[in-house]
Amino acid sequence: MRRRAGLGAIQKQRLEQEKYKDKGTEIQENQFEQITKQMEFFKVNLEEFATKHKNEIKKNTEFRRQFQEMCASIGVDPLSSGKGFWSVLGIGDFYYELAVQIVEVCLATNDKNGGLITLEELRERLIKARGKRKEHQEISKDDLLRASQKLKSFGSGFNVIPYGKGKYMIQSVPGELSMDHSTILTQASSSNRAYVSVSYLKKELNWEKERSENALEHLVKQGLAWIDTQDTYEKLYYFPSLFNDCVNATAN
Amino acid sequence: MGEVEIDWPWQYNFPPFFTLQPNPETRAKQVQAWKSLILEYCRKGRLYLVDVRESSHIPLFNNSNINRKLEESVIISILSELQKTGHAAPVDKAKHRWEIYWHTLDEWASMIYGYISSRGFNNSVLTLYELSQGEDVQTEEFYTIPQEVLIKALQVLEKDRKCELILSDEDQGVKFF
Repeated sequence: MRRRAGLGAIQKQRLEQEKYKDKGTEIQENQFEQITKQMEFFKVNLEEFATKHKNEIKKNTEFRRQFQEMCASIGVDPLSSGKGFWSVLGIGDFYYELAVQIVEVCLATNDKNGGLITLEELRERLIKARGKRKEHQEISKDDLLRASQKLKSFGSGFNVIPYGKGKYMIQSVPGELSMDHSTILTQASSSNRAYVSVSYLKKELNWEKERSENALEHLVKQGLAWIDTQDTYEKLYYFPSLFNDCVNATAN
Repeated sequence: MGEVEIDWPWQYNFPPFFTLQPNPETRAKQVQAWKSLILEYCRKGRLYLVDVRESSHIPLFNNSNINRKLEESVIISILSELQKTGHAAPVDKAKHRWEIYWHTLDEWASMIYGYISSRGFNNSVLTLYELSQGEDVQTEEFYTIPQEVLIKALQVLEKDRKCELILSDEDQGVKFF
């Protein structure tokens, strides 16, 4: 015989539900406490790790890269904040310092290259300026790219322009550069002569005259390209930032 | 004109350096670089006079290695820029011939007066030849300075009443005070 649900049964059920609820809250609280503890623990560990490896962070480029990757995998950007426990890592300091030095090199060479510099030249100049100690020398392209990316947040005045395969230029003057412009830089660097022309772009990329001229004139307007009208055949557009004698010349 | 020994700046091998740039900022840098290069070249080669019509024979304005030369009109405009700071002056109306002052006339003047004072030649008379070609001045910066430039420098001193030029046909001299 089936028993009908009586008042007692309902009360019993409610009681059970309340117990479950309490238990649930308890578990949640426990978990929260645990996570907080874990975070605390993590933080303490990380701080320990940081103080222990502070020198390593400053010295070792591979270490920095791996650390950055580790942070990225858990969704943390140690460079985005100078506050909190990340700052004790010194990693932000490292990139901050590097960024300041990048700006210095860009300013010093702006006069000759119009505010466009290859990552290679930037690295060489920076290393020279940083002094002879080994740790000062171990600056990788990866470090430079990260620090430069940070500088982008200051506005349109700073830009990282990829050109060619794994090659980058740092632009330190305001002005948008399009795909066409970086393609032209790629062509100028691969021609190894630091210049291109309308007919060269026609031959290599099958670009129409108009397209090439528009892009090239834009680069002249930006102060990144110089024109040479003494070629017997056509107007040439030169990039001091890719011209060997310019790259090797002492700044100022 | 003999070879001038100079460490060429990177721009000298950069073909567009010889084409006047359309972008005003780039052009300003270019002109600045040309101004320094002209003064440096003339200082190294002890050149006091440049004839723009001869420019294609002067390596400064004609880099045969890259087959690029600076146009005469561009040269004149750059020299005119140098004129603004007292580093050059045309000597003919057509602006073909230019005196280049890698030391300004003021600088030459104070150099000469410094020499006179250090030797105690105040109140004495020197011929212009003595002052520019004499044995005593062989180690001075102004040794072999051409008379035309020397006279202009001395005129600066004359204005300050530090000397008086005596320019008669047979005797070209100067009395210092």
